[in-house]
Amino acid sequence: MNTGAPESKTTAIKALEVTRKVRPMIKDWSAKTHEAQAKGEPVAYYFVQSFYEDILRAMDIISVGTENYAALCAAKMDAERFLDKAEAEGYAPHLCSYARCWIGFDALYKELGVMPPSAPDGGLARPTVMLGTGMMICEPRYKGFQASQRYVDVPMHVLNLLWPPFDANIKEVQDYYVRFTTEELRELVEFLEKHTGRKMDWAKLSEVTNLIERTLIIWNKAYKLRKAFPSPMPTEDAMSTMVPGWFYIGTQQAYDFYEELYNEVKSRVDNKLGVISDEKYRILWGGGLPPWFAMNLFNYFESFGAVFPIEITYHPLPPVEIPAGVTDPLERIAWRFFKQFTYRHEKAQKHTGHPDVEWLLEMIDDYKIDGVVFHQARTCRTVHCGQLHEINVLKEFIDIPTLVLESDIVDMHYYSEFETKKKIEAFIEAVDTHKKSKR
Amino acid sequence: MPEEALAKVEQIYQSRSSLAKELKSEGKKIIGYFYGLTPVEIITAADLVPYRISGQIKETVTEVDTYLEVIACPYTRNCLGLALQGKYDFLDGFVMPHGCDNSVKLYDIWKHNIEPAYAHFINIPHTRSQPAHEFFLAELRTFKRSIEKFIGREITEERLSEAIKLHNENRALIRQLYELRKEDPPLVLGSEVLKIISSLLSLPVGESNELLRNVIQELKERKAGSQKKPPRLLIYGSELDNADFIEMVESSGANVVMDDLCFGYRSFAADVETTDNPLKNIAERYLDKLPYPRFYVDRVGTRQEDLEARFGYLQSYAEDFNVNGVIIQLITYCDPYAFDLPDIKEFLIEAGLPVLAIEHDYTLMSIQRLKTQVQAFLEIIA
Repeated sequence: MNTGAPESKTTAIKALEVTRKVRPMIKDWSAKTHEAQAKGEPVAYYFVQSFYEDILRAMDIISVGTENYAALCAAKMDAERFLDKAEAEGYAPHLCSYARCWIGFDALYKELGVMPPSAPDGGLARPTVMLGTGMMICEPRYKGFQASQRYVDVPMHVLNLLWPPFDANIKEVQDYYVRFTTEELRELVEFLEKHTGRKMDWAKLSEVTNLIERTLIIWNKAYKLRKAFPSPMPTEDAMSTMVPGWFYIGTQQAYDFYEELYNEVKSRVDNKLGVISDEKYRILWGGGLPPWFAMNLFNYFESFGAVFPIEITYHPLPPVEIPAGVTDPLERIAWRFFKQFTYRHEKAQKHTGHPDVEWLLEMIDDYKIDGVVFHQARTCRTVHCGQLHEINVLKEFIDIPTLVLESDIVDMHYYSEFETKKKIEAFIEAVDTHKKSKR
Repeated sequence: MPEEALAKVEQIYQSRSSLAKELKSEGKKIIGYFYGLTPVEIITAADLVPYRISGQIKETVTEVDTYLEVIACPYTRNCLGLALQGKYDFLDGFVMPHGCDNSVKLYDIWKHNIEPAYAHFINIPHTRSQPAHEFFLAELRTFKRSIEKFIGREITEERLSEAIKLHNENRALIRQLYELRKEDPPLVLGSEVLKIISSLLSLPVGESNELLRNVIQELKERKAGSQKKPPRLLIYGSELDNADFIEMVESSGANVVMDDLCFGYRSFAADVETTDNPLKNIAERYLDKLPYPRFYVDRVGTRQEDLEARFGYLQSYAEDFNVNGVIIQLITYCDPYAFDLPDIKEFLIEAGLPVLAIEHDYTLMSIQRLKTQVQAFLEIIA
């Protein structure tokens, strides 16, 4: 473990104009959460990709994304005090640093009785409720909020959001999986009605669900443009442009953003405007949450002529077809979730056995990729355990250079700029050699 | 003969797979499984032998480094490493319940690299609502069908009921064994109990019950038990399937009289109800009655009431077994327990119990290094 604080500015230099809209969007949303708190309106702590958005928008309950707040703190180099506080409270340093950041924030808030001074974007608005999820992949999504209950005594709800394992017979299990999620979403509505005083507007829910589905379509359409040569939009931009879709989806603002994104990327493709002038290598960000405190690493790759045209992490979920005859908006959401999270199961069963490897192979082919980079975040077993397995399986099907960078998402103690850059340099050489050997 | 029962336990413990391999050579099929969350009744009802997979703390398993990250749970890494070494080649298949994030990943990695003839992942909700019950029952029907396909015949309700009876008997016998720990000094060491359980979990349940009856009888007839020691401890926490940790604590000057461990009382405290719907009864036990931190206990009432709902049973254990201290042992990277740690410590301390929380990485060296901390803790209790 190396303690290597980055030497200088660490945010990435981005290519697209539309990315400049993201930070104001985040600030504006944060301001709204504080306004809601001040007016005594409901505020919900929630976690990304938890399928709460349809319901929260329809009930006009503003959400506070604790995960993205932690990423903001990391980008602003202001996570350490919260991480230290969580550790002082007894939360092990190997726990998810997103969770430790918000738990530490909540603990500090309770200790001070006020917002921690100079907290980024005014801090986390105090929640009325906490909404966790179990899912298959991330215990911090509910254990982290359960831990926060030490400091913020508010009602908490947990959605399971389970999907079948990769080898499941989808037709055999889909009905009861969807039924479960539908009933869980119904319970969520009851919970929110009980604890916020807001009533579900079912007509609005259908509208929001339609808007979300349309947003996914335009978002995916924009990203498909990135197959072009030269690469019109890099991953460091996508780590910004994902924000409206992952955190504000279900709003007209999010939809409009992706329409604008589509137009800008289209314009860049039509005018052959690339991220860099001398694109030599196309690299796929194959997985792993990024090191939010060192996003300029992407620019470092670019200094060697290596661009990331696309990424797996935070890529929009695919638009999916809902079975005909589904009229209940909650069931619609449940089907959307189920189909999105089993999207490549059947393909994988006939081929690699691993849906994420299928996705990697698709991207390598579609975006003409020369090498794949993964990031292993030390405190996130959720996303980052299983990467070696993915790489092993990937290499059974394709010969391509891969690199695993190691640090963390929020906790800089696990990062060494020197070592990381050395690894990148060696990887670029490997990619260059590989590319030449294929000619 | 009862006198030989404990000797047999030690023999099995030292070479857990030997009997399973013998059974295999006799034509039995052995199905490995993880955690106490696996409904073993269904495996037994299929006339298969459920075999609880365990790690080996004394083994360094470097083979696993290119298969599963170092940030993964050391226990799952160790188990996978043993499998990669061929130590689990005698298994005809394996079952993984959705225990934690690591278990989800391990399932795919194990299946891909070990290539068992049979593999099944059982999804388990984190909550206990009515929809969760309905889901879990459906999931167990899927599991049952997959085993039926593997064995080529139906598992009848009658067979399920018989299996439930046998496993309930097993659990009742374990609870009888634990009663012997209430004595002062306890008639059986904590380390012995873990070895007994470890051995039992490698046997078909009928043989396990027979051995257990003999073990209990032998223990009751013991002239000289353990030594009376002031600290009477409860051990709680992450997967502990080797006796080394408890031996370390006992050699430091304590009696370990109770536990809430996956390889301990937690897996035997509650029975399956016996009504005319055996699969539903199995689902209810495994969803409702196992106090793993992966289950979210609905927050009701005050914070203190919430802590009581989550951890109150430990206070009951402490009272019943006259416990005067708790050691919480966590494996590094064991996230569900680590998130709970401040809450459970708060609860236990409020209940008047001294608590020591320590971490190891599922290696013998890391356990031995904890001895000084344990000794200091025991001095406080004494």
